[in-house]
Amino acid sequence: MTPWNPNRRAVLKTLTAATVTVTASAALSRPVHAQGAARVVVIGGGFAGGTAARFLKGHGLDVTLVEPNPTYTACPLSNSVVAGLRSLDRQTFGYDGLRRAGVTVVHQRASKVDAEARRVTLGDGVALDYDRLVLAPGIDMNFGALPGYDDKAAEIMPHAWKAGPQTTLLARQLEAMEDGGVVVMSVPANPYRCPPGPYERASLIAHYLKTRKPRSKLIVLDAKDSFSKQRLFQAAWEKLYPGLLEWVSLSSGGQVTSVDPASLTLVTDFDRVKAAVANVIPPQKAASIAALAEVADRTGWCPIDPVTFESRLRPGIHVIGDAAIAGAMPKSAFAANAQAKVCAAAVATLLRGEKPAAPKLINTCYSLVAPDYGISVAGVYAPSDGRLADVEGAGGTSPLDAPASFRAKEAVYAESWFDTITAEVFG
Amino acid sequence: MRRLAILACVMVAATPIVHAAEAPPGASACSGCHAPRGGASGGIPPIAAKSADEITATMLAYQAGEGEPTVMNRIAKGFTEPEIRAIAAWLVAGR
Amino acid sequence: MARTLINVPATAKRGEVVEIKALISHPMETGFRTGSDGALIPRDIIHRFACTYNGEEVFSADLFPAITANPFITFTTVAEESGEIALSWTDDQGNTQTETAKITVGQDPVE
Repeated sequence: MTPWNPNRRAVLKTLTAATVTVTASAALSRPVHAQGAARVVVIGGGFAGGTAARFLKGHGLDVTLVEPNPTYTACPLSNSVVAGLRSLDRQTFGYDGLRRAGVTVVHQRASKVDAEARRVTLGDGVALDYDRLVLAPGIDMNFGALPGYDDKAAEIMPHAWKAGPQTTLLARQLEAMEDGGVVVMSVPANPYRCPPGPYERASLIAHYLKTRKPRSKLIVLDAKDSFSKQRLFQAAWEKLYPGLLEWVSLSSGGQVTSVDPASLTLVTDFDRVKAAVANVIPPQKAASIAALAEVADRTGWCPIDPVTFESRLRPGIHVIGDAAIAGAMPKSAFAANAQAKVCAAAVATLLRGEKPAAPKLINTCYSLVAPDYGISVAGVYAPSDGRLADVEGAGGTSPLDAPASFRAKEAVYAESWFDTITAEVFG
Repeated sequence: MRRLAILACVMVAATPIVHAAEAPPGASACSGCHAPRGGASGGIPPIAAKSADEITATMLAYQAGEGEPTVMNRIAKGFTEPEIRAIAAWLVAGR
Repeated sequence: MARTLINVPATAKRGEVVEIKALISHPMETGFRTGSDGALIPRDIIHRFACTYNGEEVFSADLFPAITANPFITFTTVAEESGEIALSWTDDQGNTQTETAKITVGQDPVE
């Protein structure tokens, strides 16, 4: 790569901006020219894919979104559904908004990606040619990584780590459990979708038990010694759920090494823990289309360029959201949305034959410890040495010593954020 | 030179297509929380009606540890003053 | 003393290969890190681990600064007779912590 001269680039940008505007709007306003717009296929209609499709369309490109499901069920706030505090309907979104924005939505599963021919084949055999492909497939459970746990076991010991029927199943199991039952959660090692998610879930399950089944107990078996927003969570647990929630860290023997669905038992190196309700969040990997497209590496995740989100393994394919290895950025809905916008702009720039400028990205992630007790973590990220790194001095968690009014405010903001971001993606 | 580039963004901002293409670093993330129109009352404070100067002043104040932000102080610290000014100008120009 | 977890099968057949697991909570301070005052944090690691079976050493390991905090050690031995399995960790201060477990070995040999 030749070094890039920012000053020279700025001059070029200034000189060409007007010309580009004219070309782009002409292509849009005159349908006869629209067929000349570059074609981008987006696989996956979640926070990353939905956002990418909308913004790519906004850049004047011809966009097809490939998503097998007719509706999307959002994960953020779904822990409130698990705890009986929220209806799953409020997590569910359709694709009509994206259609209205001019995106072609195809409810098929992508079955093949040919990076050489720049072609995606769908489940029904239809082939879509693309100039650039954006993969936003999310995650799959890595069933091979936890002996005893598979699709069938998940019907008995739900993961509820993809919102939908699994969320409902776990909520129903908690509801059906007798007061005095032991709920056991298993939390995987990094990386996985939504780093603070298991601890928000633990908090809200504890809240459910405290208010509805006070003789019960929650044990969290963890494959880690530290986790996101740990001090905030632990301080809140001590205050709100003393004696009710037991967190067993890796170095206390918390790593679950296998499960036995028949006896609802979770096995660690030093113990066997029998559950009344078992929530097993297994290790994860990028969803299977990433491996089919050969953009996932041996870790199961997808290495990307931090400026364009283009795959390091297959040119012409961009990977965003939970499937990507985004350096310091966590796998969150906010991050997916922010990455999608940066990626969409980069794709548009690349298709014009220009070089995208280095972006800055933001993440904000709210967790509820109780219905009126929210905490957050934020970060600002920029490319550095080929990866997305934390911008020093920025980001961090809510203060440890904040008053109840601050926690209440952040709980309100969590829902406010959800309403805004889902409106932006699906509205 | 940066000034010129920003000016170019502002000039072409009437066309949403290019407006989005020319987002300065960090700017496109704002709409993840701040709705382009209005905003729920009691929820995340709306910025849709604020001027570029107001947005800039608020962000710089948060950066300096003033005001009563929840998360924006932590985010503001990730940006330089020229970056904040560019983001504010872009947000206003995109309306 | 530090918190330990051990896993020794309570029963085994004679001649059976049994797995033993041991975890000790220990910072394993390398001696290469600096504290908030800029001074080096002194080295403090467990440098030796040993397992005896009825008094006879059946497994031992020397540990070095590159080994993780809270080291987890797993190994196998052959169950020959009932008795006591003792696991011991020795740190840089010369302190040794020992945990023991009983194992009952049946008369029938393993197939």
